[in-house]
Amino acid sequence: MAAVAEYISRNSPIHRLNPLTKMIWALSILGVGLLFNDYRYLLALLASVLLVAAAAGVLRSLLPAAAGLTVFALILLLIQALFYGQGQVLFYLVPVSNRLAVTGPGLLSGIAMAARMMALVLSFLIFLATTRTRDIVLTLVEKLKVPYDYAFMFMTALRFIPAFFSEVRQVSEAQQARAYAVEGWNPVKKIRAYAPVAVPLVLLSLNKADQLAMAMETRGYSGGLRTCLREAKMGVADYGLSVLLALLLVGSAAARLAGYGLM
Amino acid sequence: MKQSGNFTAAANKRHYSQERMVTLALLQIKNFSFSYPRSAQPALQGINISVEKGEFIGITGPTGAGKSTLTYCLNGIIPHFQGGSCQGRISLGGASIFDRSPAQISRLVGSVFQDPEAQIISPEVEQELAFGPENLGFPPAEIEQRIGKALELAGIPGLRNRPTVNLSGGEKQRVAIAAALAMLPEILVLDEPTSELDPVGTDEIFQVLNLLNKEHGMTIIMVEQKTEQLAAYADRILVFNEGRIALEGEPRQVFARRRELEQIGVRIPQVARLAGLLGGYERCTLPLTVEEGHLYLESILRR
Amino acid sequence: MQRKARIKVEKLTYHYGSGQPVLKNISFETGKGECIALIGQNGAGKTTLAKHFNGLHRPSSGKVYIDGIDTTSMKVSELARKVGFVFQNPDHQIFHDTVAREVAFGLRNLRLSRREIEERTAAALEAVGLTEHCRTYPFNLSKGQRQRIALASVLAMQTETIVLDEPTTGQDFRESVQIMEIVRKLNENGHTIIFITHDMSLVARYARRVLVLCRGEILADGDVRSVFAAPEILKKTYLRPPQITNLARCLGRHSIPPDVLGVRELYELLVKMRSEKIGCCS
Repeated sequence: MAAVAEYISRNSPIHRLNPLTKMIWALSILGVGLLFNDYRYLLALLASVLLVAAAAGVLRSLLPAAAGLTVFALILLLIQALFYGQGQVLFYLVPVSNRLAVTGPGLLSGIAMAARMMALVLSFLIFLATTRTRDIVLTLVEKLKVPYDYAFMFMTALRFIPAFFSEVRQVSEAQQARAYAVEGWNPVKKIRAYAPVAVPLVLLSLNKADQLAMAMETRGYSGGLRTCLREAKMGVADYGLSVLLALLLVGSAAARLAGYGLM
Repeated sequence: MKQSGNFTAAANKRHYSQERMVTLALLQIKNFSFSYPRSAQPALQGINISVEKGEFIGITGPTGAGKSTLTYCLNGIIPHFQGGSCQGRISLGGASIFDRSPAQISRLVGSVFQDPEAQIISPEVEQELAFGPENLGFPPAEIEQRIGKALELAGIPGLRNRPTVNLSGGEKQRVAIAAALAMLPEILVLDEPTSELDPVGTDEIFQVLNLLNKEHGMTIIMVEQKTEQLAAYADRILVFNEGRIALEGEPRQVFARRRELEQIGVRIPQVARLAGLLGGYERCTLPLTVEEGHLYLESILRR
Repeated sequence: MQRKARIKVEKLTYHYGSGQPVLKNISFETGKGECIALIGQNGAGKTTLAKHFNGLHRPSSGKVYIDGIDTTSMKVSELARKVGFVFQNPDHQIFHDTVAREVAFGLRNLRLSRREIEERTAAALEAVGLTEHCRTYPFNLSKGQRQRIALASVLAMQTETIVLDEPTTGQDFRESVQIMEIVRKLNENGHTIIFITHDMSLVARYARRVLVLCRGEILADGDVRSVFAAPEILKKTYLRPPQITNLARCLGRHSIPPDVLGVRELYELLVKMRSEKIGCCS
């Protein structure tokens, strides 16, 4: 999990694009993904996302995350396939009693849902993996006029994700070393069993937030007028791509209105 | 790094007793007391400190003696961030520190804290150094200049484009020092910056501070438990105990007070402890380092 | 020699995931009642090695035996009966509202009887000098006291071996000495002690054996005197013997041995020398 939201340093054309362009791309994927529900369209969309990841050289790094997503996708697929309820029955999940029927259209709609979910999430992860946090913040503040405080909160959250996970590990190791083991499936016990890890974590995080606030205070963070060392520049490729993406989105909407990509 | 006057201050430092007569102290703390809210015991009581430009002040003492509280009073955390009641006066550059806004104080006082993890705000080094000057609203060209200079002074120009997560503890603390320097402060206040570091990291920090102080005339106040290094680099040592200054003076004077230091619970550099046991040195020549100890023992053994 | 080793490490190699090895081909064993300091720079692999002793890490290759049993065949919670582990930051473990409950946590995990838990808790608090704080909220105490709570909570488990990861980091001089004096007593009472530290004067004062780790390999393994008397080896990993040992080494031509460990020791050597000198002159 810790590596998911991190910037992966590569020198690819995708990395060199302006964050805004990549944001527009991720939003276009979202738009197109929501417009259609034909599984072929959505699988093509997922394939295009994976191609972008490959072009950016981050496909391999995103594999663990993709594997995790696949589990979710399969669950989604199963639920959708089971509860779709129409069409010809392909097979029964519990064959003996003919229960939990999986229908053909149900299965295809499940595949569509799963592909959509993966395309959307992966496009966002690719955006994070190919864009430095500082540039995201810059774009949010300069181009999208997000108040700096919010952009800063977003950046700090990203910055402390890895630290937080390492703390989770340390705390749970410290408790295991005192013969602590979560056993059994009793949910009440299970929830109570989180206290030895959760309580120190909360206290540590509060303490850390306090120290961070002090560090910010002593560096003049006061919400006054601030400047930026770097500026977010849009290049020719950025403008070109943005226009193309906009056209794609409009085209998709028109196609959808004309009745394409529906099932 | 700033006005050329800094260099003269550094050169004059050795004669600071003469200088004291002519120049006004950079930092003056007079009869200062402070109590945290809901606390019966004052955290600081009747503190008097006067710091000249270009001095390196070492502060040591047991936990809870008020050392950190003092640094909070200097960098504006108290009273702007944390409440409490204070008496007396702290003036920096002639004006009371409590009349200044946090942003104003941040221009004057550079702060470095104990935990390298918790005080680095940004995911990248350059951004970390830019953070302060950006907050103060400086134009990009000036920020660029400050970053370059600060990285150089902290001895880490190569780290500029590195993510902050993967840095070693010593590197992180040097980034924190550089980030403080990018504010072009009058004085650098450090609260146990080496306590989480290994020997290499500790040496890095002391070397950077020594260079800043000796070469660039930076005024430094450093709270530290590692008295062996502190004794070697500081011009003056203040020993805090129970909210008061228990001992004060040049390292040789302070570390000669063996009985008081043991009572308070301050580690005496080993060489000084040996000399204390053996005797036979003048007060002003108490050996503090291995080299000094060697000379001292040779002279004793020759007798 | 058929002496049974408490901890036996055989050709241990360890890497996180598919990364570079953090520990490379490490072999050593510890006997009962030893007091060992594990030293080296950050990133040398000290904590990683120590975590193999209670099963928090499993070797990528090689074996770690505790009392002759392969650690891979035991759960961490089972190994906790044999090896106690005091972590660097006590705040990573403290979560109860009183000191006594915090100390009893491990004992409850061992499912001991209430009476035994009470007895062991009281004894452990006594050993670390926190008896009068047994009902105090841990976060009202100082960091040094919280470190002693963590130590007590491990002590109470009554393990043969106790591992301490930088037990004095972030503490003042008096607190450091207090903790190390407790450790010394534990060792005198027969516990095997392994502690990680960056403070060479603590190593000189409290350890008898030193393991020097550098980039995942053992650089030196021997008694404190011999390791500190060979500073060239320590220098390879940027460690320095204590100030007093360095000073003694300058005095070779006065026939002061190069392996002095403490101020007292050098003082007595010098006094003896001086009195001999005076003796022969008069």
